[in-house]
Amino acid sequence: MAIAPIVDGPSIIQSSERRVVIPTNILTGIVLAVFGYWVGEQLGNSFLLNDAQNTGVLLGYSFASIMFLVGVGFANYPLARLFGWRVTPQPAGDDHTGAWRYFNLSLDHKVIGVQYLVAMLLAMLFGGIGAMLIRTSLLVPDPPIVAPDKYLTLVSMHSVMMIFVASAAIVGPFGNFFVPYMIGTNRMAFPRLEALSFWLVPPAIVILLAAPIFGGFQTGWTGYTPLSEQADQGFDSYIVGFTLIGLALVVSGVNMLTTIIRLRAPGMTWTRLPIFVWGVFSASILGTFAAPILAAALVMQAFDRTMNTTFFISSAGGSPYLWENLFWFFGHPEVYIFILPAFGIVLELLPHFARKPLWGYKTAVVGLLGVTLLSWFVWQHHLFMSGVAPAIRPFFMFSTEMISIPTGIVFLVAFGTLWRARISMSVPMLFCLGFLFNFLIGGLSGVFLSDVPSDVTLHGSYFSMAHFHFTIVGGEIFAIIAAIYYWFPKMTGRMLNQTLGKIHFWWMMIAFNLAFMPLFAAGLLDMPRRVSTYAVDLQTLNDWVSVWAYILFASMLFFAFNVIWSWFFTFKVAPANPWQVRSIEWMLPTPLGRRNFETIPVFTGPPYDYGNPNAKPVADLGGPSDSGRRGLGAEPVPS
Amino acid sequence: MVVDRTPRVGGRLAIVVLGLAALLALLTGFLVTFVFHFPPTLTAQPTTVGNGVAIHLETVAAVQDAIAFPRPTDPHPDWVSYLPTTIFKVPANSVVTISIDQEDGASGLRNPYWSKAQGIIGGSFHMSYFDNTGAPQAGDFSVIDPTTLAHSFGIPDLGVFVPLQGIADAAPAGSHNEITFSFKTGKAGVFRWQCFVPCGAGSIYGNGNAMSTFGYMSGLLVVQ
Amino acid sequence: MNRTDRTHALRLLVAWAVLSVIGVFIAMQVHLPPGDQSTQSVDETSLLDLMLVISTPVFIGVVLFILYSVFAFRQTGAVLEDGPPNHGNLRLQVAWVAITAVIVLFLAVIGINGLSNSAAATTFASSQSTLGTVGSAGTASGHRLQVQVIGQQWWFTYRYPDFGGVESAHLMLPVDTNIEFHVTSTDVLHSFWAYQLGVKADANPGVDNITYVSTVQTGSFEVRCAELCGIWHGHMADPNGQVVSQADFATWIAQVQKDDAGISLPPYSPIYFPHPPVKGS
Repeated sequence: MAIAPIVDGPSIIQSSERRVVIPTNILTGIVLAVFGYWVGEQLGNSFLLNDAQNTGVLLGYSFASIMFLVGVGFANYPLARLFGWRVTPQPAGDDHTGAWRYFNLSLDHKVIGVQYLVAMLLAMLFGGIGAMLIRTSLLVPDPPIVAPDKYLTLVSMHSVMMIFVASAAIVGPFGNFFVPYMIGTNRMAFPRLEALSFWLVPPAIVILLAAPIFGGFQTGWTGYTPLSEQADQGFDSYIVGFTLIGLALVVSGVNMLTTIIRLRAPGMTWTRLPIFVWGVFSASILGTFAAPILAAALVMQAFDRTMNTTFFISSAGGSPYLWENLFWFFGHPEVYIFILPAFGIVLELLPHFARKPLWGYKTAVVGLLGVTLLSWFVWQHHLFMSGVAPAIRPFFMFSTEMISIPTGIVFLVAFGTLWRARISMSVPMLFCLGFLFNFLIGGLSGVFLSDVPSDVTLHGSYFSMAHFHFTIVGGEIFAIIAAIYYWFPKMTGRMLNQTLGKIHFWWMMIAFNLAFMPLFAAGLLDMPRRVSTYAVDLQTLNDWVSVWAYILFASMLFFAFNVIWSWFFTFKVAPANPWQVRSIEWMLPTPLGRRNFETIPVFTGPPYDYGNPNAKPVADLGGPSDSGRRGLGAEPVPS
Repeated sequence: MVVDRTPRVGGRLAIVVLGLAALLALLTGFLVTFVFHFPPTLTAQPTTVGNGVAIHLETVAAVQDAIAFPRPTDPHPDWVSYLPTTIFKVPANSVVTISIDQEDGASGLRNPYWSKAQGIIGGSFHMSYFDNTGAPQAGDFSVIDPTTLAHSFGIPDLGVFVPLQGIADAAPAGSHNEITFSFKTGKAGVFRWQCFVPCGAGSIYGNGNAMSTFGYMSGLLVVQ
Repeated sequence: MNRTDRTHALRLLVAWAVLSVIGVFIAMQVHLPPGDQSTQSVDETSLLDLMLVISTPVFIGVVLFILYSVFAFRQTGAVLEDGPPNHGNLRLQVAWVAITAVIVLFLAVIGINGLSNSAAATTFASSQSTLGTVGSAGTASGHRLQVQVIGQQWWFTYRYPDFGGVESAHLMLPVDTNIEFHVTSTDVLHSFWAYQLGVKADANPGVDNITYVSTVQTGSFEVRCAELCGIWHGHMADPNGQVVSQADFATWIAQVQKDDAGISLPPYSPIYFPHPPVKGS
């Protein structure tokens, strides 16, 4: 393990302090992970269970993930404390400079934010490739272009990878990077948990990508039993990968909630919190309390696959209903984990680009919290047709209809902000407006699905698919892209090319709508989900969708080109406040310093104080270092 | 201060290009070995007896035990399978005769409805088999005891269902039951066929493994 | 609200009203599924029609507002200007929330009402249906023809307990009859979706999932599996479900009874458990 050098004054390693140093970084992590996989697999297979070698694969993946984290450096600090070696709170990873810093364990939330951004974009690329293969397969109903079992693996991998992305793509990069700035603190409450929440993601992605090696899995992202219990070792990727992401959600949520509750700077009252932080806050509540249910259910499935328990096998006393309910009790809050930070982004960006206060700020907060609360009470709407007791369906119809009220509040607040505004049609603003249009369609289609009699035709069909693609892709992904264009200058020090951005927006908006709108019709025309073939008279429709899907993917490659080009091949530093907006992160210089604030700021006004001639800056950055409030966050972090 | 930027760009460009190359290589490997991988197509040959075309198949308890159509490069030598392949090409509007060397032992049907032959010419199939004393028998059957099935051959879209009797324990080693049946094809199209016996041993309810993988216990009938 | 506010609002309102009328007219021409082959499908179609009609002005309103804002409320000069410091208007917010609440609750009530109607499935209280028990003529009010739908990997089969539990690989139903489906599975989850009949019920192993339909028109309907069940899920589709006259149905079921005579089918049961679920059967 690496030991940080003593840091009073210039770094001098005394000869008596020298130890054997194995640098811990991503490469060590990979090497140890491979070793860990081998150990786990040998151990699992040695139990000689009647388990079709699932124990070997499950233990292999688990050991690999743990050894990866050890290799990255998570064991250094605990082991050093255990053995009484001299430690500093900061791991050696943060001593590096330059790009190599990003491949190490860093407790700097800015580094973690950038690491998350890259990981999420890569995962989106993999998921997108899966989507292109799916649409290629659906060009012709029969003879199949892709064999039906391989097709289902493509569907499963695309969907699970995109679920990984959607769970963390806003809170991960932007929550971690900007929430400390927005609340005026130099660090997060639990930097090590924050780093853990990131470093759990690469193993999850790799484990998922390894599924085809074991034959893939055919269950889609919902992993319904008993179909999943019939699956080969490919399904173990789903179990371990999804558990890792669930853990990441819990860990990130605990960290984020504690940070927002406890580390706000003076003057940052709950009613002055930027709405983006409220979005992250409400999603973190859901993540912290819903993800453990998923993890428990996945462990139960793992037991069924290895130790011959029968939690989900009805002929031996279990029930597939148990899985369905456990999964959707997590699964419904999960989709609000996707969209609440997206609401946070859009409602954050609208005031800045409309140069008007957020209209109905308190109502917006009530809306976000209302969605958070109601999302626990609607999960049965995924199970309307499943044969659950008919008497409970009216309650869930009612609660599902009700949840569209706080969701509608988001539009109310957005409209109020746009009314009589001075809108700058910048690229982030374009994507926010695109969000509003797409989410409108997604949300309205949800209403169609929420009543049981209409759901009879629509459940399990392409209508349902179109609904969630409009809300997740048209909603959350558009919000993520808006956030990338908006915050890229501050995170990376470079501006994304705005002309290419405008082309990207129109290209993506048109292709997305033309690709996904016909899917509502496909569902109404009797095409179920997750099928590798369809009625011959739907071929023209499917071909149209596939072609526009290719065009949509091309628009994302175009965006990737803009990102890579602007980030690594342009050298002009972005201005400190290119959008000329009022928010604390834009008051700081670009590039940002290692330490967020030399002195903890004092917030002096509401967050969106546009149009007020007497408005003060958002915060007083040169405030007294001792504002009378001691505790975490008031202390500078040792560097 | 003048900074010489060229090496940085060169290095970065190399990283980007290498990364893209690696990604493309992985993707190509994935596409070739997994996504677009299909078993070969067997084109039915004209019969020597009667009219129409004929296909000869073998069903085995494990691919490694194949007699008529060995497949040594199979990635799952211990899986049940139809051999030599499961994609058949037959002409439209003709009579297709299929004869199957059935070498697997009985595993029993989940739904005894599939023990009756349907959709085949004459309503019955010809079967030469071994009874439970090991003596060879032969005859025409339209339904068999549901507990004695090893596999079945069903084309649900065409209404064809044929049970395949399992080889008796007392039969001599290396022998097989031979089941022969015919059905008519109509217009062109692609129809999937499958075995309806849960014979995917090692998976819960028996429909995993070979039953859930294209090319073993299910396939396509391409009518052209 | 000052004069400029009122101008903008009036323009928007008029445009919205005009476009909504046109939009609703177009929406009412759309022919939505499932159709009118059963009383349930008629109910479901009218609910879908209602939702489309309500969604249309909502959609038009939101899109109109966005487009109008983008053109009417732009930055004008080269210098960035702020908009007016409006923080909210409590009356407007309450009005919006109240109106959206009324709309969605109205839809919930209609949905609940539709549910209770289909559950009763007593459309044919009179003796229009002569089918029900084996060999009986005339029925008591509300008697339903029992049809069991068995989902298995990868085809549905159907059993008729009223006729000796005979089994068929195709679904035929008599017209003008109340039918009670018992949907179950023998392996994994499937979902019995009879598209034109407006029936969807999951086939869950070990569960007897009951749903109802009252057929009112003859014709064919498509049966598809609507829950991912493995490799041939998409191919688990039968376009030849039929609703036929009661006489034709009687002929057909007699033929099925003859065809099934040689098969030793297990006794009819609401659920069927496979052999012990060991991993080697």
